[in-house]
Amino acid sequence: MAVEMTMPILVVDDYKTMVRIIKNLLKQIGFENVDEASDGTEAFEKMKKKKYGLVISDWNMEPMTGYELLQKVRADESTKATPFIMVTAESKTENVIAAKKAGVNNYIVKPFNAGTLKAKMTAVIGEF
Amino acid sequence: MPAAEVAARVRQSLESVKVSDLENVQLIEVLRMAQQLTDTMQMFFGSLDKSIHAEFNSIAEYIAKTRDEIAHLRPNDIRESRLPGAGAELEALIADTERATETIMSEAEALMISETDDLDAYKMEVSDAMTKIIEACSFQDLTGQRVSKVVSSLKHIEERVARFAQTMGVNDAEATANEKAEEERKAKLHLNGPAIGGPETDQTNVDDLLAMDQDAIDALFD
Repeated sequence: MAVEMTMPILVVDDYKTMVRIIKNLLKQIGFENVDEASDGTEAFEKMKKKKYGLVISDWNMEPMTGYELLQKVRADESTKATPFIMVTAESKTENVIAAKKAGVNNYIVKPFNAGTLKAKMTAVIGEF
Repeated sequence: MPAAEVAARVRQSLESVKVSDLENVQLIEVLRMAQQLTDTMQMFFGSLDKSIHAEFNSIAEYIAKTRDEIAHLRPNDIRESRLPGAGAELEALIADTERATETIMSEAEALMISETDDLDAYKMEVSDAMTKIIEACSFQDLTGQRVSKVVSSLKHIEERVARFAQTMGVNDAEATANEKAEEERKAKLHLNGPAIGGPETDQTNVDDLLAMDQDAIDALFD
């Protein structure tokens, strides 16, 4: 099934600059319907109100981290099927494994480029 | 006279009084024994006084040394100048990088949506934007200088604290309950932060890990 380019995407990061970078990269590859949240709590609230086609989340945020958000999303019936990509500077093997066990769909290590983001998005949501 | 020896002499005197024939004792003998006991007790209390005096002297010396070491630590300089100075430099550094990022991103975003029908105008626009981007990159020089000042302050503090700890023979106390709780939270949530010198696991290895099945992952920890 073809990817709907107007599908809503939620970008979660506590650094406004990083949100802006990801939104620009998404725009460059054709996705403009992008919402933002500054931590896991705000992101989960938004996810309970709106169905997102993809969540792109940082790991290290306060008060709720991206890892906690991922666990919460997977534990909730209404959000558990949402594709989830972690974009983070946390690059220890234990982090990757923990994210995989928690149900992450893909994992991008910062710094990254548009090519990596597009490749990982394709792997998660399909060709676009 | 050492305290142990004085104590032995006191015991000896008391023993000698105990074994004396106190039934038919003569006054001169009582006085002799009292004198012996008094001399010994005087010696004991004299010694006790000296040893307490020496102990207090030692404590006073230790206090003076501690005060001297604390003065060398210059805690007021650290609290009022070094740490606030380092904090101000870091805040300025964040402001510098934010300003530069804002300029660079705004110029790039403007170019991404600019009209390309008029090639000469577009070329001029790109050239202006590139000049502004290059100018904004001068933040790197300021950043380097600010980081150097912060590193210098931290080294200064580190040297003073290390000297204090070494001279005073300080051993680290147990972490507080709050510190332990924070450490446990970080470990539980895998909050490690960025690695020094680039990602510890690069994107290729991350992809390999994600492609592994659970048994293979578990084997990594066996």
